[in-house]
Amino acid sequence: MTAPLLSCRGLTRRFGGVVALDGLDLEVDPGSVLGLIGPNGSGKTTFFNVLTGLFPADAGEIRFAGAPITDLRPQGIYRIGIARTFQRSRLCLPLSIFDNLMVGNHQHLEHGLWFNLVRRQALRRQIDENYRAAQELLHIFDPPLAGRMMEPASRIPMIDRRRVEVCRALISRPKLLLLDEPSAGMTHEETLRLMDDILQVQQTVGGLTIILIEHEMSVIERVTRRCVVLNYGRKIAEGAYAEVSRDPQVRQAYLGLE
Amino acid sequence: MSLSVIAQYVMNGAMLGMMYALVAVGFTLFFGVLDIIQFSHGDVVAAGAFSGLAAWTLLTAAGMTSPGLLLIAVIATAAIVTALLGAVVARFIVLPVKTAPQLNVLLVTLMGGTVLRECIRLFYPGGSQPKLFPALLPTSGWNIGAFHLRFDNVILLVAGGLLIAGTHLLIGRTRLGLAIRAVAQDEETARTMGIDFRRVVLVTFALGSVLAAFAGVMDGLYYNEVFFGMGLLLGVIGFAAAILGGLGNMYGAIVGGFLFAALQTVGAVALPFASAYKDVFAFGVVILLMAIRPTGLIGESASERV
Amino acid sequence: MRSRALAILFTAVATAYVWFLLRAESQRAIAALIVLGIAAGAVAIRTRLLEPFSKAIGSNERLARGLAFAAVVALALILREDDFALLLLTRVLIVIVACLGLNVQFGYAGVVNFAGASFFGVGGYTAAVLARATGLPHLLVLLAGGATAALAGTVLLLPILRTRGHYAALITIAFALLFRTFLEVNDALGGPQGLKLGEMRIGPVRFNDRMQIGPFEGSFYLKYIAVALVLLALAFAVVQRLERSWIGVALDTVRLDEIAAASFGMDIARWKIAAFVIGNFVIGVAGALSAFMIGFIAPNNYTFAESLIFVSILLLGGIGNPWGLSLATAIVILLPEKLQIIQEYRFLMFAAMVVLTLLFRPIGLVPRPLRRLIGSPE
Repeated sequence: MTAPLLSCRGLTRRFGGVVALDGLDLEVDPGSVLGLIGPNGSGKTTFFNVLTGLFPADAGEIRFAGAPITDLRPQGIYRIGIARTFQRSRLCLPLSIFDNLMVGNHQHLEHGLWFNLVRRQALRRQIDENYRAAQELLHIFDPPLAGRMMEPASRIPMIDRRRVEVCRALISRPKLLLLDEPSAGMTHEETLRLMDDILQVQQTVGGLTIILIEHEMSVIERVTRRCVVLNYGRKIAEGAYAEVSRDPQVRQAYLGLE
Repeated sequence: MSLSVIAQYVMNGAMLGMMYALVAVGFTLFFGVLDIIQFSHGDVVAAGAFSGLAAWTLLTAAGMTSPGLLLIAVIATAAIVTALLGAVVARFIVLPVKTAPQLNVLLVTLMGGTVLRECIRLFYPGGSQPKLFPALLPTSGWNIGAFHLRFDNVILLVAGGLLIAGTHLLIGRTRLGLAIRAVAQDEETARTMGIDFRRVVLVTFALGSVLAAFAGVMDGLYYNEVFFGMGLLLGVIGFAAAILGGLGNMYGAIVGGFLFAALQTVGAVALPFASAYKDVFAFGVVILLMAIRPTGLIGESASERV
Repeated sequence: MRSRALAILFTAVATAYVWFLLRAESQRAIAALIVLGIAAGAVAIRTRLLEPFSKAIGSNERLARGLAFAAVVALALILREDDFALLLLTRVLIVIVACLGLNVQFGYAGVVNFAGASFFGVGGYTAAVLARATGLPHLLVLLAGGATAALAGTVLLLPILRTRGHYAALITIAFALLFRTFLEVNDALGGPQGLKLGEMRIGPVRFNDRMQIGPFEGSFYLKYIAVALVLLALAFAVVQRLERSWIGVALDTVRLDEIAAASFGMDIARWKIAAFVIGNFVIGVAGALSAFMIGFIAPNNYTFAESLIFVSILLLGGIGNPWGLSLATAIVILLPEKLQIIQEYRFLMFAAMVVLTLLFRPIGLVPRPLRRLIGSPE
């Protein structure tokens, strides 16, 4: 039994009077794809936000590869290998697709003043290497897109922006990838295609664990081996999709059935 | 230091604090309703003072002499002019750029304020020089020991306090206030509830600007003079006070205003050799406080959705 | 080939235009020239010529820089006896340098600085004090002006940028308002009268003497133009290289989306402070040179209104675009100086223009082109 890559105990986060996370316990096995589902407002995105350090936790603990990371800021979370996409698209639209991808690779780029202003040959080489790497990654998701890397992100449709966001998160070779409703705004086919591409990367790269927040249940069913169901900030069920979808507590949470 | 000197300092501080609080409440209203920094507010204060002065000049030239009537005319003119200015700024400058980055609104209102300020300087007769503002309140007072408590200062303080209290009641107890609070909380929901977003914004801006009018007239009555740039420092201080207390928080704005005045007074007492340094001291403390408690002493209300 | 010829032609026409404008004496002629310029600009905007123009400059940077340099040198040589025209030309060059610094802060990192003129003044006052009280070589004095401005900026903004970046606006406005009063009450800094600076000397070159190289002769301002041009070339190169680098990507991201920037490892405060320090250094050096050139400084030159002029230049020209900024500087400096009637109204006029620009064409005159990390010759 391998140790979990990520584990949370009693994670709690309040916003004024609202308890967004209420003593959440969660574990993710390395190399797996975990689905995180639950009705609107159940705390899924808040979990991502607290995990990545955007909001501090009011109580509880998070461990990543055994080490405590509860108090790390977003910058620290990125550096230990956790990358994410956002529920609402957060690309820098005036910048080129390539620029946006390079944001994701921040920690592998040289940012010294001397290097960037004076050692232009070396900079050029680093830019070229990264350009090729970015092209290869983007090619997996959409070959034509890989040819448009020098266009502004504002000029591509939403689905391509989502792809770029996923690539931005993948390009730094994270250990844990957090996907927040990647399917929003996409058709069923586009979503499946996106997930297939992500899984392809997971297999090629190896060592990538994924937590997926999703509302489209068919995607969860197809892509995840295990899911965790949240409601009012706590875990109410856990297991394979087939199991949890039959769980009466889960059904009540979603559909309000008796 | 004798008691009367302390009392004088306290009085000065209270007057300044009241003015700052009035301006700060305006900033807070604008931020609350539209999540924006409206930097023409200080210059609207100046416009209020100058329009009041213009009213007085015209009416006295026409022969009116009663200080009570003149005072009413001055305040009324200032209020009407600033309310209109506030609404115009909201309608033509702020609302159109609402969707642009917050920085754009700050820039466009700052430049708009500059236009207003320069118009006063260039087009008001003798506008580039400080102008004498009439003393329309009774200048007598009571003597408490060695301290002379001026009647007009008391009136100004009381009036300012009533105005703020009135605003507080308006926001808290009336339907309009409810609409304003609804819009401040969540524009979309307020709209779907049938609230006329535009109207609420215009009214809020007019309301905040009327407070500015009073601050301007108060400034003129207290110092007996106005000048075209008076709104600049007042605006910056009002903004700082609003931030100190926590943007969007009305109590915070009032506390911030009086706190800043207190800091200035402490600075003036501690550094008697140059009065200019009192502002440096006060802002220095403000910077420190902002660094330590960025959401303000009482707490900011806005937050961003991730 | 054709585009090259067009570029040279355009530069020649633009240079001739500036020459006419600088030489013109009668207000009528000046007004006519200005109307012509506005008409040309309006046509360019209407026929959407400005974006491709901006792109063309972007893909031929070397040529553009070379032509611009040549144009300035040509102007300087042609005008070598016209002191006032040369003074104006130098002022434009120096203000472009200052605005390039401001651009790093504002256009790239998104840190508003409403005290640009005050930091410009810090550089100037540093130069004055050091030149009067010490024997420090004047080249070092220029650098010291930059360093002092950078230090002042750090002290002012470090606590703020660590927490709430957008309060930089408030603090810089307060600084801009109080700086002048601070200068006026300090007799050690000359009080309201200001300070005089002695002659600038770099090596054997004395800057108050006429320029003489062999048979060639000209006004002493030519020496200042030379220094300003070198400074401008350096600043331009630094700013452009900065933009076309990983630093540029990081600054833009920090400006556009702090949450995304933080989520991918960027230390927001560190980047904003770095940009602010670099920008202030450039502003300070420009201020020091300006003080030497004019020969004296007074608090009156460094008001909040002047700072707003700097910000207006950035907003009018096209945020983040050094070329647009240069064009805007020329307009903002030359117009009121030549057309006397608008001197008094320049604050009003430019503020109104900025309001209109922000409402109707927020990208400015010459919008910033996409960053070319790949495929552009250095």
